[in-house]
Amino acid sequence: MADESILSDDLLRQLISVGEVDVVVGLPTHNNAKTAAHVAQMIRTGLLHYFLRQRAVILNVDAGSRDGTRELVQAAAISDARDSASLHSLRTLRCISTRHVEGPGQATALQIILASTDLLRARACAVVSPASSSIEPDWMERLLRPVCSENCDFVTPIYRRNAFEGLLITNLLYPMIRALYAQRIREPHPADFAFSGRFGSHLLDLELWRNEFSRMGAEVCFTATAAAGGYRLQQSFLGAKGQVEQQSGDLVLAMRKTLGALFWSLEQDFAVWSASTEPHAVTTLGPEYEVTPETVRVNRKRLYQMFSSGLAELEPVLTSILAPTTLAELKHCAASGDDTFQYSDELWVKTVYEFAASNHRNVINRDHIIQALVPLYRGRVHTFLGHNRGLSAQVVEDRLEDLCRTFEHLKPYLLTLWTKQEGGS
Amino acid sequence: MPSTPDALWYKDAVIYQVHVRAFQDSTGDGIGDFAGLAQRLDYLQQLGINALWLMPFFPSPLRDDGYDISDYYSVHPSYGTLENFQRFLEAAHQRGIRVLVELVLNHTSDQHPWFQESRKSLDNPRRDWYVWSDTDTRYHGARIIFLDTELSNWAWDPVSKSYYWHRFFSHQPDLNFDNPAVCEEIWNVMKFWLEMGVDGFRLDAVPYLIEREGTSCENLPETHQVIKELRAKLDQQFPGKMLLAEANQWPADLRPYFSVGDEFHMAFHFPLMPRMFMALRLEDRKPVSEIFKQTPNIPDACQWCLFLRNHDELTLEMVTDIERDYMYDEYARDKHMRLNLGIRRRLAPLLENDRRKIELMNGLLMSLPGTPIIYYGDEIGMGDNVNLGDRHGVRTPMQWEGGWNAGFSSADPEVLYSSVILNPVYGYQAVNVAAQSRSPHSLLSWMRRLIEVRKSTPVFGRGSIEFLYPQNHRVLAYVRQLGRETILVVNNLSGSAQAVELDLSPYRGSVLIEMFGKNPFPRVGALPYLLTLGPYQFYWFRLRRL
Amino acid sequence: MWNMIVSELSQATHELAQEIAHFLPRLLVMLIIALVGWIFAYLAKVILRRALRLVKFDRLSESAGASQLLTSAALPSSTELLCRLIFWITWSGFILAGLNALGMVGLEELISRFLLFLPRLLAAILILFVGMLASSFFSRGALLAAVNADLPSPRLLSYAIRVGILLLTVSMAFEEVGIAEETILVAFAIVFGASMLSLAIAFGMGGRDLAHQFLQRRLSKEETKERKENELSPL
Repeated sequence: MADESILSDDLLRQLISVGEVDVVVGLPTHNNAKTAAHVAQMIRTGLLHYFLRQRAVILNVDAGSRDGTRELVQAAAISDARDSASLHSLRTLRCISTRHVEGPGQATALQIILASTDLLRARACAVVSPASSSIEPDWMERLLRPVCSENCDFVTPIYRRNAFEGLLITNLLYPMIRALYAQRIREPHPADFAFSGRFGSHLLDLELWRNEFSRMGAEVCFTATAAAGGYRLQQSFLGAKGQVEQQSGDLVLAMRKTLGALFWSLEQDFAVWSASTEPHAVTTLGPEYEVTPETVRVNRKRLYQMFSSGLAELEPVLTSILAPTTLAELKHCAASGDDTFQYSDELWVKTVYEFAASNHRNVINRDHIIQALVPLYRGRVHTFLGHNRGLSAQVVEDRLEDLCRTFEHLKPYLLTLWTKQEGGS
Repeated sequence: MPSTPDALWYKDAVIYQVHVRAFQDSTGDGIGDFAGLAQRLDYLQQLGINALWLMPFFPSPLRDDGYDISDYYSVHPSYGTLENFQRFLEAAHQRGIRVLVELVLNHTSDQHPWFQESRKSLDNPRRDWYVWSDTDTRYHGARIIFLDTELSNWAWDPVSKSYYWHRFFSHQPDLNFDNPAVCEEIWNVMKFWLEMGVDGFRLDAVPYLIEREGTSCENLPETHQVIKELRAKLDQQFPGKMLLAEANQWPADLRPYFSVGDEFHMAFHFPLMPRMFMALRLEDRKPVSEIFKQTPNIPDACQWCLFLRNHDELTLEMVTDIERDYMYDEYARDKHMRLNLGIRRRLAPLLENDRRKIELMNGLLMSLPGTPIIYYGDEIGMGDNVNLGDRHGVRTPMQWEGGWNAGFSSADPEVLYSSVILNPVYGYQAVNVAAQSRSPHSLLSWMRRLIEVRKSTPVFGRGSIEFLYPQNHRVLAYVRQLGRETILVVNNLSGSAQAVELDLSPYRGSVLIEMFGKNPFPRVGALPYLLTLGPYQFYWFRLRRL
Repeated sequence: MWNMIVSELSQATHELAQEIAHFLPRLLVMLIIALVGWIFAYLAKVILRRALRLVKFDRLSESAGASQLLTSAALPSSTELLCRLIFWITWSGFILAGLNALGMVGLEELISRFLLFLPRLLAAILILFVGMLASSFFSRGALLAAVNADLPSPRLLSYAIRVGILLLTVSMAFEEVGIAEETILVAFAIVFGASMLSLAIAFGMGGRDLAHQFLQRRLSKEETKERKENELSPL
């Protein structure tokens, strides 16, 4: 059941005028004037092309943009596309827009989109990132068709990525969810995704909206809920991922969004992931992965420095979180120097699992636990870059597969830590 | 603008389309006739219609249901004599019902004496009355209209050993309107019937009168010139008579047929009709509001003719491919129902016999700008029989009662020109005039009431239209205005209840009077006017300043 | 004379016996009150322990960081501590009431003054406790933020924040119990003011060049380029 109190009166009036629809496409925005209009145009073209007969609505949820994003989206979504002379819409394609006052942050926007989808009794809903500048009209088909025609509940994307992009996903989130939830979901923190009406209604009722960590990384919670709840999952290859502008300190924010939400989900889904076994493949439309061989210039030395200084400075904190052997091993690795430093798969997995268990036991404030992992992650990135530079995409993929196996192999270790009564240090 | 008082009578008309053959048989031969039709004029008068459009009743081999004429100056013997026709005409006029005759100008039957003579030899005086050619390659820009049966617009004549031009069936050779003698003779035909007292003509297939190389052979300037000349003679010799064009074209291409008021008085708005059905299925006003945006203004003395269904297939020529596919999928999944880029079904079966939908569509027909035409039998919700081939399934005998042959004829059922509808839903025992006349809540009673309300004001026939665009796209709302009289029409195109807020600020202070029950609704205030409508419900409001 | 002594002795003994006879019942009452009080205190402790276990109070205090603090101070768990506190407060109350029953002059006034002082003492203890929690939390938060932002001397910053908060807490606690209020306040103001002044001078003079370089980098594109070189998109 939708929580109507999160829908403003104005939005509710607009939703009433739209009435029941088959498809909703949600576009959450905040100061995305550079890309949002193009994204809205592509969404409209995609709907006219692939869902001509379906009743559809584009819902723009804006977090108080000051650069005219909302107006640009509205104009782009109701005007005819430049190259769509052959595209004639059978029906009125509505674009409605609302603004929420809670500032940037995806959670409120997602909640509004979920509630609107529920109210409009839509069969399928897609959420598209306003930064997805590489979006093509066929993204609508790839995201929504599995839900509309194949009864899928949750569709996550697969992007064409640079081998060294999204390492937090490839080195932590993906292998951990794969090991624990037994589903091979390449993008567990999707920027563009789709879900069925019934799954959306289920998400609305979850506790995740009342916890700060799960709210910050709601997309991860969606993925975990879908995997744990036995919902039908599918992945669709979309193409290149849109780039978000770099902001200083965004690694901490990224950690909070992903790891914080994942740890929260592990608390909720313990009964499921503790009993899960061998991971199985998720139905995929298109290639399972595609890697571009672009070179990346990274100051590995600086990464090592931040890792070793972080390890030293945070030792009092890490003592509460990590097992003594793990901490000792890390210090030993750090002492070996930039050229020979190796953050092995096994050590990394143990680190992550000990963090997860410490988070579960609440040894210190949970946000502090997540922040404490940041320098260690930098060390891991250092090792990953060093090992895989200049190698082919297939080799990198094979190594990631090895990492995944290590996560799976050490799952009993996590279970042991999780169920221990006393503290970890 | 014509000066006689009822010169614009066609704007206020409610026309009833009928085939003499299908309406009432008075002789017991199984075929309807003019005497029978005359017997049923009281029924038509009670229904409320004030004009009759008679489908072709001329002598004909009936290979195209009378559209292949073999004698323009007579009545097919099956339907009676000229005297029968005249008596019928007088009786109709006595009841205030005008009569329009359907005249097929473009072509005749190949059995017509004109063609028989024309084909005899190259130097026959009537040789040039038709379009002949030694090859079948001329005018290759012209499309084939009857796609299901014809492969070419040329047919080989073994008698004259040459090809003749036909835009329709091969047994319907096209007349050559480049020949002044043809134009003269056609005028003589019209004059013959006008002198008898008919009130106007529905001219069939007018876009195809003239052919020119390198063109589509449709809507050519020369065609318009032919029409202008006919109209000029009509106005001069028979003022107050009306010409109605059958031209299945886009609105922009139809506009020239009105010209500056010196061609046709009326023309069918073909593109609107499928869009009404589309809007209903989509539950979205877009198809209707968009086609009206594309509809050009016409001279004040001219009028659009609106219809829901007729004797032909529901034509899908004037829609896009996507729209056509949609209509086929929604209204004619069974390919048996499809014919010549159209759907050959009656109104009630198309609307799944849903009384609410039938009422809504008739409400639209009566309230949109134009003169409405009711196809015989649709006022009682008659069904069809797609197994009868071609378009005969929608031309079955009128169902008057639940008895013998539905009260249409005393003949044996095997003798009837067409079998009556027998199935449990639409069969004559279930759907007939007698039963519905007895019930004040039947469709027939409702249609009578609808026509009565329509005729209670000239606004529907003569007024302007302004569409409202409320946020709820399932509601089609518009304002009709004539002088100081204003009518608000609100239609719910969806099968579920809807709420709609209308911007009636220009009419602030007016009281809404619902026209069927005559009950007042709240006054229009400063805020948007909120209305709620049940599934497929519509309102007609008279706006009054009280 | 012997008889007078004996008589006085026996009179004194008699009076003593009478005093004792008067005192003994009061003592008995006091002991009974103390015993009843012990029973009530024990029951209160048991009920409170059950209630706190039901609401998982230990978990709550763990997340607040109180448990770690208590463990490092070799104190029992939060639940146990609170239960014991309630036990002692309840029993002390009964004991004090029992002492009242003894009817000893002067003792009553002492007891009443102690009872007036007790809430302030408890408040001061609470302030200290909260302050220690806060100093631990914020100093750790500052340490993590400084490390992740690659600021120089994160430990120094963390330590400074911890000391600052502790100083403030101690001052507030002393002020609450009313011990050397003004002395503590003035001392805190001097220390705090001096710290701020020295920091300002240190930054102003010693960090001049650093500030200049920082602003220059901020406004130029080098920093962005350098940042882009150093930061891969984690998502």
